[in-house]
Amino acid sequence: MQPEFALQAADPVLRERVVECLCELLPAVLAREVSGLSADTRLLDALGMTSTAALELLLRLEERLELEVSVEDLGQEHLATVGSLADYVAANLLDEE
Amino acid sequence: MTALVSVGSFLPAKQVPIEERAARLGLTPMQAKVFRRYHKQSEVRVDPEGGLADLLRGALADLDGLRGNEQRVRYVLHARSFPVVTPYPLDPLRDLCLEYGLGHALRFAVGQHACASGLLSIDAAGRLLAADGDPEALALVLAGEKTFTAETRLSAETAFFGEGAGACLVRTGGDRDKVLAYAVDLRGELGTEVAQLGPDYQSEYTGSLAETIRAAVRRAGLRMDQIGLILPHSVNTIAWQRVCRRLDFPLDRVVLDNVAGSGHVFCADHFINYRTALTRGLLRPGERYVMAAAGASAGGAFAAMVFEH
Repeated sequence: MQPEFALQAADPVLRERVVECLCELLPAVLAREVSGLSADTRLLDALGMTSTAALELLLRLEERLELEVSVEDLGQEHLATVGSLADYVAANLLDEE
Repeated sequence: MTALVSVGSFLPAKQVPIEERAARLGLTPMQAKVFRRYHKQSEVRVDPEGGLADLLRGALADLDGLRGNEQRVRYVLHARSFPVVTPYPLDPLRDLCLEYGLGHALRFAVGQHACASGLLSIDAAGRLLAADGDPEALALVLAGEKTFTAETRLSAETAFFGEGAGACLVRTGGDRDKVLAYAVDLRGELGTEVAQLGPDYQSEYTGSLAETIRAAVRRAGLRMDQIGLILPHSVNTIAWQRVCRRLDFPLDRVVLDNVAGSGHVFCADHFINYRTALTRGLLRPGERYVMAAAGASAGGAFAAMVFEH
């Protein structure tokens, strides 16, 4: 019933690409202009992001980068910052097969 | 010991894609896609021509054991997520009781635990019957609400609601679906001013529901690995993935069959999922299983009830 997913070591190049992409996508998800975004930007505290908005961010990321992420283990702790979400994404890619 | 004599359920035939509901509720196509992709919700059930009585009547039609035993029914409880479910002065519960020969029974609504009020109703019914001391007396628990306002159609962070109903006959004693334990965690501090789920409720949901299930199982003198099945509230799939991970319980033993095509049916989900489990042959004699539900309105309510089939 559960999807097969490949647990892989986080690829630093991919992680950086994910951070960059998340920063690009955040204004559309939040429906407002946001400046100075970086890996250290706090999603919940500073941007007031909800868990559903975080899922929308992931969905847009999946479509932009043409990858698929397992959200089964996604917890509040992964939504702390752009960087922690990127770490989660890089470590929880679904097997393309 | 409280036991269920029989369980009935009803889902209207009409299914509406969530995108149709989302557009009317002001969600963007991308927000709707989140529900389809991650929450695994695709459609909700609706009965556009029917009222609340029609939903409850559907569950009663599926309930064995009521006909011929009407005079044994002492209480009729309507489990509700919302305090007001019909416009004043309509009283479909009274009308149904008269229609089904239950006019003599004491009837009342049970709420305040949001979507966990169905389990509270079973517990309340069992306690009332035990206090009466008549082993032949029965209580009828009904659950089901119409999705006729915006807040009854969508919980923004978790689920689209669908229409449906459940019913069960409760007695003290008996050897069918015995209640072994009940646990509820009421978290007033998680309430919000509006009847939507606040961020605190969201962050506490997984841990609180998992711990409540564990508490009920412990109270029943069992371990989680002795539980064969969880009959959940069908809120969405991702929430149960997280609860299962916290419990170290296999997701494929949670009956999530109705999430995709029916939506979250208020207090009735666990009755609907009971019938699904029976149909699929998942409930064997002696099987221990858990009904679990959670919800928020004036606070968070997390509830779990352990049964032996």
